[in-house]
Amino acid sequence: MSGLMRIFALVVFFSAATPAMAMPPVEQVRLDNGLRVLLMQSHNVPMVSMSLNVPAGSWLDPSGKGGTASLLSAMLTDHTARHDYITWADRLDAAAIRLGSDASRDSLSLSLTVLKDALPEGVQAFAEAALLPGWDAKRFAVLQSDSVAGAQKSLEEPGVRAAQETAALLYGEHGYNHRPDGDLASLQRIRLADLQAMYAAQFKPQGAVLAVSGDVTMDELLALIGPALKGWKGAPAKTFRDIPAPATVSGEVRNINMPTRQMTVQLARLGPSRFDDAFFADMLLNHILGGGGFSSRLMNEVREQRGLVYGVYSYFAPLAVSGPFVISLQTRADQAGKALQVVHDVMRGMHDGKIDKQELQAAKDNLTGGFAHRLDSNAKRVGLLSMIGYYDLPLDYLQAWEANINGVTLSAVQAEAKRFLDPDQWNSIQAGPTDGGDAQ
Amino acid sequence: MKSIHTLLPLLFLSLSVPLCSAGAAPFAPLQRADFENGVRLVVEEDHSAPVAIVQIWLKVGGRDEVPGKTGLAHVFEHMMFKGSKALAAGEFSRRIAAMGGNDNAFTSHDYTAYFETVPAAKVDEVLGMEAERFGHLSLRAEDFAKEIRVIQEERRMRTDDDPNSRMFEELSSVALRLHPYREPVIGWMQDLKTLSIEDVRAFYQEHYIPGNVTVVVVGDVDFADVKKTVARTFGRLAKRPVAPRFNPVEPEPIGPKRMVATLPAQLPMLAVTMPVPVWHPGENDREAAALAVATEILAGGRSALLNREIVDKQRKAFAAAAGYDPFSMGTDLWFAYGMLGPKQTPEAFEKALWATIDGLRDKGPDAAQLAAAKRRMIADEVFAQDSLYIRAKQIGSLEVVGIGADRRDDWLQALGSVTGKDVQKVLKQWIVPARSITGLLQPEVKS
Repeated sequence: MSGLMRIFALVVFFSAATPAMAMPPVEQVRLDNGLRVLLMQSHNVPMVSMSLNVPAGSWLDPSGKGGTASLLSAMLTDHTARHDYITWADRLDAAAIRLGSDASRDSLSLSLTVLKDALPEGVQAFAEAALLPGWDAKRFAVLQSDSVAGAQKSLEEPGVRAAQETAALLYGEHGYNHRPDGDLASLQRIRLADLQAMYAAQFKPQGAVLAVSGDVTMDELLALIGPALKGWKGAPAKTFRDIPAPATVSGEVRNINMPTRQMTVQLARLGPSRFDDAFFADMLLNHILGGGGFSSRLMNEVREQRGLVYGVYSYFAPLAVSGPFVISLQTRADQAGKALQVVHDVMRGMHDGKIDKQELQAAKDNLTGGFAHRLDSNAKRVGLLSMIGYYDLPLDYLQAWEANINGVTLSAVQAEAKRFLDPDQWNSIQAGPTDGGDAQ
Repeated sequence: MKSIHTLLPLLFLSLSVPLCSAGAAPFAPLQRADFENGVRLVVEEDHSAPVAIVQIWLKVGGRDEVPGKTGLAHVFEHMMFKGSKALAAGEFSRRIAAMGGNDNAFTSHDYTAYFETVPAAKVDEVLGMEAERFGHLSLRAEDFAKEIRVIQEERRMRTDDDPNSRMFEELSSVALRLHPYREPVIGWMQDLKTLSIEDVRAFYQEHYIPGNVTVVVVGDVDFADVKKTVARTFGRLAKRPVAPRFNPVEPEPIGPKRMVATLPAQLPMLAVTMPVPVWHPGENDREAAALAVATEILAGGRSALLNREIVDKQRKAFAAAAGYDPFSMGTDLWFAYGMLGPKQTPEAFEKALWATIDGLRDKGPDAAQLAAAKRRMIADEVFAQDSLYIRAKQIGSLEVVGIGADRRDDWLQALGSVTGKDVQKVLKQWIVPARSITGLLQPEVKS
């Protein structure tokens, strides 16, 4: 085993906000085939969670075939070259092996959650799904047909309709121009050969990361994954570094007619990327604007002060290049204009510099004080390790996180507000009744 | 709540069995204290990270409302965030945020719960704040006037603009004649439009009393410290008499019922439900566990029978599921549903659904099927231990519905003892067309 891989870098210790807290170290090994393995041990529950992230995100879906990466992820876990879908399902279920998959814009992930005593079987199954795809044409037809029906069903949801339109509007011909799930038309155009081509070009160990958390040591883990991943090698045709920067779109308006009582309103523009120099200032800006739940300005002004909505929030997607920065709300259709005006006033105020020190300090306190919660389950730890490994962030990312938040100055947040919160630069997407609703 | 709800006991409930794990991962022991005024404390210590979750559980929920005032328990929950003698409106959440914590609440038919996830060092302060608002809530008319509009928006979002939720709401209402699970927790819109601050104040007086409170703390705390803190906060509230809860016996169905909900929708959905027994420890352990195992075989894991037979083999739906909650008060509405694609008909799905259930009833599960279902259910209990929030929620809900969190191991034992014959028996007795209520979501045809 130890001949197969060499230990590359190890162990970052971390002490967080609470002095008593000792975060488990992040252990890293790079296998000879280039795969990065990151582990945080946690021995209080006899289980292990892991996620393999490879550069086969939906940004690489062929033009007009949105949902290709998503269908690929579904096919990989459905059956393998050795097991048809029935024997495969029975085998996983008998050992309580939870095997999952997902496609996001930048990457495709396979995930495993398993009891400690079933870890060898679990890793075996995980590797079989990843490396021995079955490509059963009949199963492809079934999965495709079910996903097409699911896409039609999801058109009942205003949030899905708005998100589709937002992606199309913001990204034009860019690979981020659709939801990773695909849509009713695009899913029907996909062929099995599209999945095979994406797999052949992108499902490679270099640039991939295996993130693990749970009741296992690095030695135990390597002894299992070494043999299981034997023979897997190569580099992907494209990595996240090949994703082009999208062009700016601003001031556009789109309306989607739906027979609902509420209007779903999304304001959207391009936001900061994962690698933006001002990333932490942007995080605080968003927290103050609409990312901080009940303490955010949008929640206070639109819901608490005026009772116009149940939910209003903002977020930006920290992707390899500028992801969407979105403000979203739902309100009875005849109140949409009023709610939108309040949102614009909040944006304008922050854009013009009206953010004070106390507000910034409150946001910092909430984020840093809550840091331990970001790491308090295997699933959360796997998510963070995947992100650190996949985007090649420094291994002390978690260690430095609190200092990075605390180091943000008020003027830095004000500068980011000026950069991002001019209401005129945002686009507006609304889904709801075009006749203004019946006030019910 | 402010944003999480257990409003729709039917739709997309994850199958099965929120409890704990046996053998492989014994639970941390529970420590408890009962105070003279009726307040109960349950603590599960876990020192693996310097965090804790505090949950205040109330034996009050949608079932405690009177006709014409549906939604009141949930409205009340919102008002708990609107200020008290010592804390201005919104101040509670602001203070929790400043600690690095987050807070919220949820309401079901059976209970209401308020929770905070915080650094463990803040647990004492949080318990003090919770007791203060519990005892001295402001309940101002002007806050109510705004909040009731927020809740109407919540109903529009969750139910009125979601045809599937709307259909399940109607189906529950048609299914039960007497039991309060027939009314939606969020409340009917016409009730939400006539509720008043006086209703809220009367609800406060009647239900927010120490005898209805269970405090649950899970995390990096010391039981003795928490006990002292609860003694000088919740423990000091004046004792008041506790009235028995409304828990009527639902009359046995005398034949099948059907309903159609014609709504703006893209595709049809067909759902079947029926009242089934919940778990009464020591009385029907095997029966409730067999219902849970039967449901797991039908709808759990990758090998789920409904999926394999109806979706994969017969192609009569593009998704199918079923669910059973053995841990509610009095009764549960067992359900199964299918999502239908453009060329799939409700009639064919319904026929396939009953044929699949009948097949399991007649042949029984094979040994591998039964063993796999049990192993997954035990594994799910282990996986659930990974989340402090879920652990606290399991403990709190078992306490307030009257089962008791100390019974967790008994449930695992009951699951382990289920035989194939038990599965056949409960399917034959409870999951039958003559007892069923069938609902169809029929997409509205545009003229």
